[in-house]
Amino acid sequence: MIKQTLFGLAVAMGPVLAAAHSKSEETMPADGATVTDVPELTMRFDDPMRIISVTLTSPDGDVKIERETGMDPTTEFRAMPLEELAPGSYRFDWRGMASDGHPMQGSFSFTVVQ
Amino acid sequence: MTGLAPIDGVVVLAILAKALGYGAALLAMGGALFTLLFAKRAEESVLRLAQHLAVGAAIVGLAVLALRFGIRAARISGMGFEGATDPMMLGFVWDSPLGTAAIWRGIGELAILAILLPRVGHWIALAGSLAVAMSFAQVGHSLGEPRAALAVLPVLHLLAAAFWVGALLPLRKAALTPTGADLLHHFGNVAAYGVAVLILVGAALAWLLSGSVAALFGTAYGLVLLVKVVIVSALLGIASLNKLRLVPALRAEKRGATIVLRRSISIEMLAVVLILLATATLTSLTTPPINL
Repeated sequence: MIKQTLFGLAVAMGPVLAAAHSKSEETMPADGATVTDVPELTMRFDDPMRIISVTLTSPDGDVKIERETGMDPTTEFRAMPLEELAPGSYRFDWRGMASDGHPMQGSFSFTVVQ
Repeated sequence: MTGLAPIDGVVVLAILAKALGYGAALLAMGGALFTLLFAKRAEESVLRLAQHLAVGAAIVGLAVLALRFGIRAARISGMGFEGATDPMMLGFVWDSPLGTAAIWRGIGELAILAILLPRVGHWIALAGSLAVAMSFAQVGHSLGEPRAALAVLPVLHLLAAAFWVGALLPLRKAALTPTGADLLHHFGNVAAYGVAVLILVGAALAWLLSGSVAALFGTAYGLVLLVKVVIVSALLGIASLNKLRLVPALRAEKRGATIVLRRSISIEMLAVVLILLATATLTSLTTPPINL
């Protein structure tokens, strides 16, 4: 009986609970996308996220990017490659902290073609 | 596997430090609770052991708290261990809910040291135990909704667990004292209620954070939680064996009863260590299904 009641509670609270953790909702370029041009790299979160470190790597090594967004918690992160990206595969990695204190990390990859 | 974070060296260290922090907090709280609850029934030597346990665990707890700050800073920095001493990263950790939790836990563990003072010291230590229990409601998924339930349930869960875990070593010693059998019998009666609280609250939390039975089998969180439940069940089995067979044997002064009971309590302690490691893995590496 208690379990059923709690289960009911959990189901009712589901949508509220689901919002408790911020996630990377969408990125640009999208994960797995093939693009011709990367003017900027953006990530959107459903809850403020403090993005601390970001790296963009190609098979040749780290690619320099400039952060437009600082280290304050944000729902939208933006950075720009310093030079035009040569054709090839790229991977963007980030680390940070969610507003509930959890260390968070994530990545997305994309391919640049001519 | 759904909801499993990447594993690296820093994460493994984070899990070990967290498990050690849980153990220290439970022993510190439990030692204080034991001293207060069994002041009249336990022998002086047993009470002294409980006090020393509380003090030693509180000191270890404070050291682990500092260590965990560094580990958390290293994890968020992406710089590896260099990040552990970076003032900016430490500042971010301090500003996060872990900072708030650290204040509660730090003050609580300091207050538990007061158990060495006569009389009023025990009450300060009890207040400290409550503060330590409440520190766990300041971080992570306790901050989700329903806020009240997710804040109160862990506090109850921790107090019940501390009562049990903190009593193991003193009880193991008590088995050697003349009044030990009565103390163990009395503990068994009180602990039955504590275990009921532990299971009901644990089940309620599991329901709130996983949401469905399917989520238990399909996610990393669910699987680690099941591992924890299996070890807890084994621990409950040993505990009931103690209560129903070994303690009555000790009371009846059967030959060898003391050795068997003390060995059984040692196995309980080992099970507790495994449960703490499972719990630290659960809260470090996996995301509750409801948050996926």
